[in-house]
Amino acid sequence: MSAEDSVLVRCPSCGENAAPRARFCENCGTALGTGGADPSLPSEVTLDVAPTVLDLDPATGEAGGNRRCAACGGVIADDGYCADCGTPGQSERDHFEERPATWVAGVCDRGIRHARNEDAMALAANGAFAALVVCDGVSSAPDSDVASLAASRAARDVLVAYGPEGPSSVEGATSRRIAGWTDAMVAASRAAGQAVRGAAEQLAATKGTDVADDPPSCTFVAAVVDHDLIVAGWLGDSRVYWLPDAGPAEQLSVDDSWAQEMIAAGVPRAQAETSPQAHAITRWLGPDAADTDARCAATVPNGPGWLLVCSDGLWNYCSDAHEMGELVRKFAGCGEPHAAAAALVRWANAQGGRDNITAALARIAPTVTEQR
Amino acid sequence: MAEFSAEVFQNEFLSDGGTDVHAIVSVTCTGAGAAGAGTAASATADAGGAGAGQVAEIVAVDTSGSMQGRNMEAAKHAAAVAVDQIPDGTLFAIIGGSHVATRIFPYPNARVPMVAMEPGARAEAKRAISTMAASGGTAISTWLRLADDLFATVPAAQKHLILLTDGKNESEPKMHLDQMITHVTGHFQCDARGVGDRWVVEELRKISTALLGTVDLIARPEDIAEDFAALVRKSMARGVADVDLRVWAPQGSQVLFVKQVAPEVDDLTSRRTEVNALTSGFPTGAWADETRDYHVAVRVAAKPVGSEQLAARVQIAVGGEVQASGLVKAKWSDDSTLTARISPEVAHYTGQAELASAIQEGLAAKASGDEATATVKLGRAVQLAAETGNDEATSRLRKIVEVENEEEGTVRLKRNTAKLDEMALDTASTKTTRVRRA
Repeated sequence: MSAEDSVLVRCPSCGENAAPRARFCENCGTALGTGGADPSLPSEVTLDVAPTVLDLDPATGEAGGNRRCAACGGVIADDGYCADCGTPGQSERDHFEERPATWVAGVCDRGIRHARNEDAMALAANGAFAALVVCDGVSSAPDSDVASLAASRAARDVLVAYGPEGPSSVEGATSRRIAGWTDAMVAASRAAGQAVRGAAEQLAATKGTDVADDPPSCTFVAAVVDHDLIVAGWLGDSRVYWLPDAGPAEQLSVDDSWAQEMIAAGVPRAQAETSPQAHAITRWLGPDAADTDARCAATVPNGPGWLLVCSDGLWNYCSDAHEMGELVRKFAGCGEPHAAAAALVRWANAQGGRDNITAALARIAPTVTEQR
Repeated sequence: MAEFSAEVFQNEFLSDGGTDVHAIVSVTCTGAGAAGAGTAASATADAGGAGAGQVAEIVAVDTSGSMQGRNMEAAKHAAAVAVDQIPDGTLFAIIGGSHVATRIFPYPNARVPMVAMEPGARAEAKRAISTMAASGGTAISTWLRLADDLFATVPAAQKHLILLTDGKNESEPKMHLDQMITHVTGHFQCDARGVGDRWVVEELRKISTALLGTVDLIARPEDIAEDFAALVRKSMARGVADVDLRVWAPQGSQVLFVKQVAPEVDDLTSRRTEVNALTSGFPTGAWADETRDYHVAVRVAAKPVGSEQLAARVQIAVGGEVQASGLVKAKWSDDSTLTARISPEVAHYTGQAELASAIQEGLAAKASGDEATATVKLGRAVQLAAETGNDEATSRLRKIVEVENEEEGTVRLKRNTAKLDEMALDTASTKTTRVRRA
């Protein structure tokens, strides 16, 4: 234990232990250390590798044309700031939204404290099927924003292949489909892990560094909605919540984190989650990850409700499933997932926005099962 | 073609809840060329024709009774030297001023109010100047009105007046001059000069400040000619006319002040014109190859720690076209090592601006017999001059006060100081030194 302690860096602001060479505290977002490049400046490599066009809603076409200010809706001037309120214009990587169906939408945002958005999100929907993938780049490793985006998209594409009209479409009775989706989830997490390795190798080649040296990495969480069935898969501490309109809310995923291990060992949740090492994750995707098979859980909802897939930038401010259910219901009164996801992100920013924030929602209602 | 650049000096970090953003914006003009150079060819072609050229120059010389003797002879010589310095093609006129203003050249009976300079006109103008004689009182508003009337007849883009007096504006109510200054503001620029020790610094400063020029003291009459020559040369080097400083501030914010701080302190805030709802314009007159520094202060709404906000765009516009832009930013942080720092440029010029007002207030108190206030203000001025490395102000102050402790700012007022020394300190009070960079 003492050997491990010696390599830990303690955040000067909140006391959280951070990994060696971490650039930001995972808990409070404080910039750590003095070495390395200025974290506020995106590296050229990131800009070269990150895709410039994200899968935005084709109906609004917000990816092109004049950039709009996220704060007031004004036009972003050539100098990069809003012409009306002076808020810095966000790059598409810093803030993006997806809405593949009227009942599925998500918002991925840089937050306030971090210099860049290392969260990523990829969504898909087709009839009564939806796939929601969220990856949270580990900010102690550089270029995790590239890794997380590659991972989330690779995983989404695999899940779509298992969906309706896909080459490996999962079909049959509920129990058969649970088994099929569990296989699909593992395939997706492996593909995501492969994508992270690929991105890492490409970055290392561009920069002329060694992949093993500070490799980028990220968490993985995905949820699939297949008619009456929800299957979740994860590595790390990004989460899936099932929040029924009636009945108890539940967290489907179980964090791969130090805090969770303590809870499993009998330490009270509040104490475990506020301890300095609480956010240390025990499984992740990356070149240095031994095992990239997602752990899975399934549930068959017996009524309408919200499926929430999110990063810790959101749940840090509202960890308990019951409280999360109330929060989502508060913002989702209209039943529209896009507005609700945007409201959740705004709420997390209002709490301090200490980490990147991703909230992806799917509205599960009896009508959804009848859509086919 | 002139090029402008803007450089911003500030500490952009604000502490949690901080609202006030201060920045020094240093604006530099290069390649200004000569005044009116853009139309030099047509001016030459039209030489002799009325209205040729883009530059108009008027010299107004005090011809009141008090000028009688050395001052009048020196002023006449100086006006002749100025005429020598005015390049061919420039539209010009000479005014003699007392309680009334008279057009000395072109002769009062001439049909054109201003003529383009050429060798014949130059010789004739000097002959006209030599006939000026001192008599009458002093009503400077009439001089400004005549200059304004003459300038109004020509299409020049750049209009410049040199005004010389030796006495107080005593032949008219103060209000007349104030009203005339307001009336002619924006029509032309004016450098005002006082010779001897019987004129009032505050009067001429009011004129030169409103008309975007300088005020200065010429202690000895024989120095007038050299000063006039320099003023004409400086005016002719200003190749860029109609330059505006623009300050954009975000919706819901408040521009606290906009000051020029180098080469001289000049608070522009009250000269604001509206460009659009979020942008203010401030006229800065014509520019030569030079650098001027501005202190801009904006109050914005506080944002959460970690947020960034553009607090101001400081721009230079020529003829309505933005040529250069500097960005003033605000970033909220809870790191006190970042937020506690004060930009050395902001600190320096804040000190220089306070120095100027300490000198002016100290001298005003001394003149009204309030020695206690004068001692405190001039003591503070000595302290600030030392802190900001303004050696010129320090040496001028030392002629007025005995310095006991420079660091503490403790001084005693000297007895029997020369009026000229006080006036020299007053006129020079707005001149600033630039930040010494490491």
